[in-house]
Amino acid sequence: MTTTDNLIRRLATEPPLPPFNPRRMALVMVLSIAVPVTLFLLVLGHRQGLAAAWSNPVVPFKTILPLAASAASLLLLLRLARPGARAGGAVWLLAGPGAVAVALWFGAYALRAAPERFAEVSAASLGECLGSILLLSVVPAAVILRVIRQGASTWPRLSGALAGLTAATGATAGYSLFCTRDNPLFFVSWYGAAILMVALVCAALGQRTLRW
Amino acid sequence: MQATEDPLGILLVAANAGDGQAYARFLHAVAPIVRGIVRARGRGLPVDLHEDIVQDVLLAIHLKRQTWDAGHPLRPWLYAIVRYKVIDSLRARGKKVYLPIEDYSDVLPAEETADPLDARDDQREVDRLLGQLDPRSAEVVRALELREEPQAEVGVRLEMTPVNLRVTLHRAMKRLAALARKDLP
Repeated sequence: MTTTDNLIRRLATEPPLPPFNPRRMALVMVLSIAVPVTLFLLVLGHRQGLAAAWSNPVVPFKTILPLAASAASLLLLLRLARPGARAGGAVWLLAGPGAVAVALWFGAYALRAAPERFAEVSAASLGECLGSILLLSVVPAAVILRVIRQGASTWPRLSGALAGLTAATGATAGYSLFCTRDNPLFFVSWYGAAILMVALVCAALGQRTLRW
Repeated sequence: MQATEDPLGILLVAANAGDGQAYARFLHAVAPIVRGIVRARGRGLPVDLHEDIVQDVLLAIHLKRQTWDAGHPLRPWLYAIVRYKVIDSLRARGKKVYLPIEDYSDVLPAEETADPLDARDDQREVDRLLGQLDPRSAEVVRALELREEPQAEVGVRLEMTPVNLRVTLHRAMKRLAALARKDLP
């Protein structure tokens, strides 16, 4: 009997593994985002006059776009957790919020006078925005990277990036309820930068931790 | 082809439900497919490494078998794993790459090859071979194979889980076997 036959004999005596359950994984991932964000908002509170701010048609995009991106990247992440699966239309779901964000940025750039465009940019505002999103993303990114290892992505780097994207966009959606800077030139740029940073770090981590 | 039409799919459905015989038949049926792909892709490798890669791929299928959705065709899933692991295994043999040890189950056969230390009575020779391993792997071999210490104690001392210990030992013994083979006239 060859060593491969021996290996097969041994493997065949192993008990079956628990079923792969994407819904349960999704629930854990969503909770990993929701809990830190809820704690953050409970401690610091949401912005004053949130309801009034939402009457400005641009402001809801601060929350809706990252939320949509988070849902789309979560869907894509779970889909790619099975070998041989294809991304399919979920890629377009992810591209949609990105395209709207870019349109908002260019729209704001075109409509605002030059001195107003980047008036809100300061070390303090950048630190608060980037720092908060990065900090809020740490726990969900770690949990999501951990949970997705139950799957078998044949694209570890991409799956890592999607894990980071899911975490960071989810965190951003929560943070946007606190943030008072409503200029798309500000929030698209700096929310986007923070999201990109988390996605890149998670892509590098995914390359190492999601191999199997 | 749906799972219910594919003989391999039927076997894997039964295997995932706990039928060990069906699982053995499934793996035996898959092994030649994997072997063929390894042979085609691994032309530059020594032939004796091909079977190691086949085993790596079978182990990967074993570890990730629950990710197959029985409602979908089996073959794309199977070929994606085979392609991924064959490339990964080939790359690992071409250069050092990171492989997370925790991803391996606790079913690795430690005694897969003849003990490379059996024919090495000379202590200096054994030390020389072990010196070519990383210190942690060498200590695992010394503790479990030479001093025959209980696995639980070794695990506590080296702060390694039983799974990590077994995988580390498995890899170290394979590496030692390769080193020993290289030394033979």
